[in-house]
Amino acid sequence: MQNLKTDVLVIGAGPAGSMTAKWAAMSGAKTVMIEKRQEIGSPVRCGEGMSKAWLPDVGIKPSSRWINVEVEGARIFSPAEKVLEINEKHAGNEVGYVVERDAFDKQLAIDAANAGVEVMLKTSAISLLRDDGHIVGVTAKQFGQTFEIRAPITIGADGFESQVGRWAGLPTNLALRDMDSCIQYRMTNVDSDTRYCDFYLGKVAPGGYVWIFPKGDGLANVGIGVQVSKLRNPADVKMYLDKWIAEHPAYSKGKKIDMVGGGVSISAPMKETVTNGFMLVGDAARMIDPLTGGGIANGCIAGKIAGEVAAKAVTANDTSKQFLQAYEKGWRAKIEDKLYRNWLAKEKLCTLPDETFDKIIDALQGVKLEKLTVLNILKAVHDKYPEVTKEFEAFL
Amino acid sequence: MPSKKTLHIESSGQICIYCGACVGICPLNCIYLDETRITFDEKVCTRCEICVRACPVGAIEIG
Repeated sequence: MQNLKTDVLVIGAGPAGSMTAKWAAMSGAKTVMIEKRQEIGSPVRCGEGMSKAWLPDVGIKPSSRWINVEVEGARIFSPAEKVLEINEKHAGNEVGYVVERDAFDKQLAIDAANAGVEVMLKTSAISLLRDDGHIVGVTAKQFGQTFEIRAPITIGADGFESQVGRWAGLPTNLALRDMDSCIQYRMTNVDSDTRYCDFYLGKVAPGGYVWIFPKGDGLANVGIGVQVSKLRNPADVKMYLDKWIAEHPAYSKGKKIDMVGGGVSISAPMKETVTNGFMLVGDAARMIDPLTGGGIANGCIAGKIAGEVAAKAVTANDTSKQFLQAYEKGWRAKIEDKLYRNWLAKEKLCTLPDETFDKIIDALQGVKLEKLTVLNILKAVHDKYPEVTKEFEAFL
Repeated sequence: MPSKKTLHIESSGQICIYCGACVGICPLNCIYLDETRITFDEKVCTRCEICVRACPVGAIEIG
């Protein structure tokens, strides 16, 4: 394999990477996207729930190729299994469509390729190239051969277990409390309601939740995330999920047909996502919503901005950290506030005993909330259980 | 100096599901996942046991 030169190099062909590459190419930059796997989108490591309002803004057309089910909303179950129904518009970024993630990822990669991106499969980045304090591409490996890909702008979109972010010196390290460890079964023969994505809170999943995302025809993703700092013994995550399933007949009669796992960051937004010649995007940049665990929307929204800024930097012949602030500021303007607020809310929720969850959900029964904000929820809870809201004075 | 404990990642597929949770949480960036192969850098690893806790299926042991 000969050494390559391009304008923009994207590492990782998940949704954030494909979006970044597509928008860089559409903005006129010669773009290469490398993916270490041989098949984009597979194996899936995702609950497969996502919101939908953001799709037109980044140029993604909903398609039956990757949509399994369109849900009306979410149901939040308290530990005593009192239920709160939330309309899809307010339900956060995991609710809207339940998708076939491998097909979704492939479609985004196809869109990128059709926009002119060169896609290279089975190609791993093994180290960053540096020149005069700037990152200028990677040493890559494909089919056992090592070669260089040089580019004035390199973008790390290598997901939760990002290596390149760390190589670039960006602060991606996570504390135990900043990560949920997750496992999920795809199950058939279960009674899930295809109108809702369901979430079960409390000690069934400390610092996380159990989710049921329906895929239609008796099929559903049944999964769990547990905060790593709350795990005590090896394989606790699987134990929590198996226990939950055993206690729920609608699911214990189901049959498992596949199993996936993974890590989800639940940290506060990163302080810095760019350096000279380099940007970090998506799960790699810890853009996952720390309350909902949803990462696709934020990754794609930031990816579009990263692609556009990358092309501009190439045209301006300025790939300095300063120039790339346009990306840093751009993605923060779109999503940082929400990430931060949801991180605060999550930090609080992690500390609540089951009884408090029950009271909160109970207080919201029958209350019509115009807009589902933390403030509105707290006001509603305050009317019925003023002692509960005392704990939340910081939010009021 | 006490000798280092040994870290064992069961990555033949009997337990490991290649999810990458250990890779993402490792504070020293010394675990690598390549499709269905997991390796770690013996020299860099301090046996901090964070990956043991993060593994959802209990595929990592320290002894």
